[in-house]
Amino acid sequence: MKIQLSLLSLAALAALFSAGCSGSETKSEADPKVATTGGPSTGKKITVCLLPKKKGVPYFTSCSEGAEEAAKELGNVELIYDGPTSGDAADAVKLIDQWTAQGVDVIAVSPNDPAVLGPAMKRARDAGIKVITWDADSAVDTREFLVNQATAEEIGNSLVDSMAKDLGGDKAAGDVAIVTATLTAANQNEWIKYIKARLPKYPGLHLVATKPSNEDQKLAFSVTQDLTKAYPNLKGVFAISSVAFPGAAEAIKQGGMTGKVFVTGLSTPNDMRNYVNEGVVKSVILWNTKDLGYLTVYAARAAADGVLKADGTLKAGRLGEKKVVGDNVMLGGTITFTKDNIAQYNF
Amino acid sequence: MKWLRSREAALAVLLILLMVTANALEPKFVTMRAQGLLATHLWELAIVAVPMLLIIIAGGIDLSVGAMVALAAVTLGLLFERGTPATVAALVAIAVAGAAGFANGWFVAKLKVHPLIVTLATMAVFRGLAEGLSLARPISGYPASFLAISQNNVPGYLFAGFAPVTGFVLARTKFGRGVVAIGMEETAARFSGIPVARIKLVLYALSGLACGLAGVILVARNNTAKADLGVGLELEAITAVILGGARIEGGRGKVLGLVLGLLLIHETREFVSWHWKQNELNMIVIGSLLIVTVLLERLLAARRRG
Repeated sequence: MKIQLSLLSLAALAALFSAGCSGSETKSEADPKVATTGGPSTGKKITVCLLPKKKGVPYFTSCSEGAEEAAKELGNVELIYDGPTSGDAADAVKLIDQWTAQGVDVIAVSPNDPAVLGPAMKRARDAGIKVITWDADSAVDTREFLVNQATAEEIGNSLVDSMAKDLGGDKAAGDVAIVTATLTAANQNEWIKYIKARLPKYPGLHLVATKPSNEDQKLAFSVTQDLTKAYPNLKGVFAISSVAFPGAAEAIKQGGMTGKVFVTGLSTPNDMRNYVNEGVVKSVILWNTKDLGYLTVYAARAAADGVLKADGTLKAGRLGEKKVVGDNVMLGGTITFTKDNIAQYNF
Repeated sequence: MKWLRSREAALAVLLILLMVTANALEPKFVTMRAQGLLATHLWELAIVAVPMLLIIIAGGIDLSVGAMVALAAVTLGLLFERGTPATVAALVAIAVAGAAGFANGWFVAKLKVHPLIVTLATMAVFRGLAEGLSLARPISGYPASFLAISQNNVPGYLFAGFAPVTGFVLARTKFGRGVVAIGMEETAARFSGIPVARIKLVLYALSGLACGLAGVILVARNNTAKADLGVGLELEAITAVILGGARIEGGRGKVLGLVLGLLLIHETREFVSWHWKQNELNMIVIGSLLIVTVLLERLLAARRRG
């Protein structure tokens, strides 16, 4: 009886495990070939764990593609790309704990909730693991370096400049409003600061309101609708989160204001392609996500080898030499997607 | 020798097989250090599963556990945000969850509504309350002294205390025997003078209190109080109870079985995640373990009849 039971259960578990086994083939691992020239170091093989905010989101998937490219190039990096499909920070904490228990070499985190991930990141650091952040930052004592896509100033300037261009160049005139994520998000607030600093360059533009949308596309939609009703001279909306942008664009489209009110902001080309092609949105700002992932792996390698220094430089393969400003490894540079070039990008 | 035919033995064998396989494939997994670190993920489920075992043995069910955890967490967060010291806020949170559980018990025991319906409804109500009160905002920033209660497996020691006590109560006290009797045949139990309504009330209130405690631990571990904590916890708890050998109709179940079931779920999940590095597989594991359990039950029942 016991044997029957055990056999049955064993068979079931074995079936489960082998199902999982075939799945693991699709996960990429760097070929353990001898390291070639061109990388920052030809040291021993290390394991780098890349943790996105939410696994499965196209933005992060494309970052991981760049990361895999870098891992292959370096030859001595085993890349693990894993994260919660729910985006739940608590699940991310469990992953970090597991990696800490496994004793990996570097953990690169894009934290969707720095307060929740902080303790786990500190535990990893205490265990001797190098922790860096990418895409978004967390408290300074939880990580050694941040791989930053662009400075807040670059982002703020790009947003204002492209809005002005959409509205007619230096002589652009009209009311503009900002739809942000939450009023407490540090990165959005930094961008707002630089938007406000850049606006005086275009004296015809007046900022009339800043409203939160709390990472809720429906809320962004209704907030934008309200703005168009409250400010009849509204000509432009800055939707500065990847969730707010489609929501705001939809509000303009459904309100029949395509061509009268322009929306610009930060999101992926795939999310905004339809709006760009319909003329609701003229420009979408982002950065090269593949390069961001690529740079993160090079930074991880350098951090593990101990050669990554604050205020130094980093040799990052095909990206050349990248500046390290303080403890920020700068990818540098935003990309503006318009009708002319948006077809080329797929993320 | 008869013990070897029991659910507990089967679970123990599976657990040993799992750990032996794990040791072969990933030796670091079975070290004390790794296990100690990973164990911190288990305690909320374990604490909630104990009253769930009792409720199921008594023929009931509690689907609202996840929602009560969230309600407790949000209560803690909101009070803390308004200046209440974390420890006081935690105690109030546990009390609130206990009251929620008591409400469940009232509907089941006094108003005689079917527990599935009651807790299905309260699952929605409590979760809705948590989301509404907190406006779906997370509340973070607790003092280190508070966060410490979730570290070093402190909750594990709590559980190590509860579990044997519950086992003793179930097997040796009038209360425990009453619980089993209610599950076996409620009418007969009532006619035997067993205080059915009172026992049920106590069980559901205990479930609430356990959820309150679990909520506090979750908040301490994550340094954040959110309304979406504990989603899916009821599925995990019920799976653990059934895996541990309790029958869903009631009348049977042992604490030892529950503990082994919890360990099996925990180790399987952690190992799958460790070895196959794909977070998506986590959800498949729980479902599969439940299916395997049902198959086991069928086999057992067939053997007994034949």
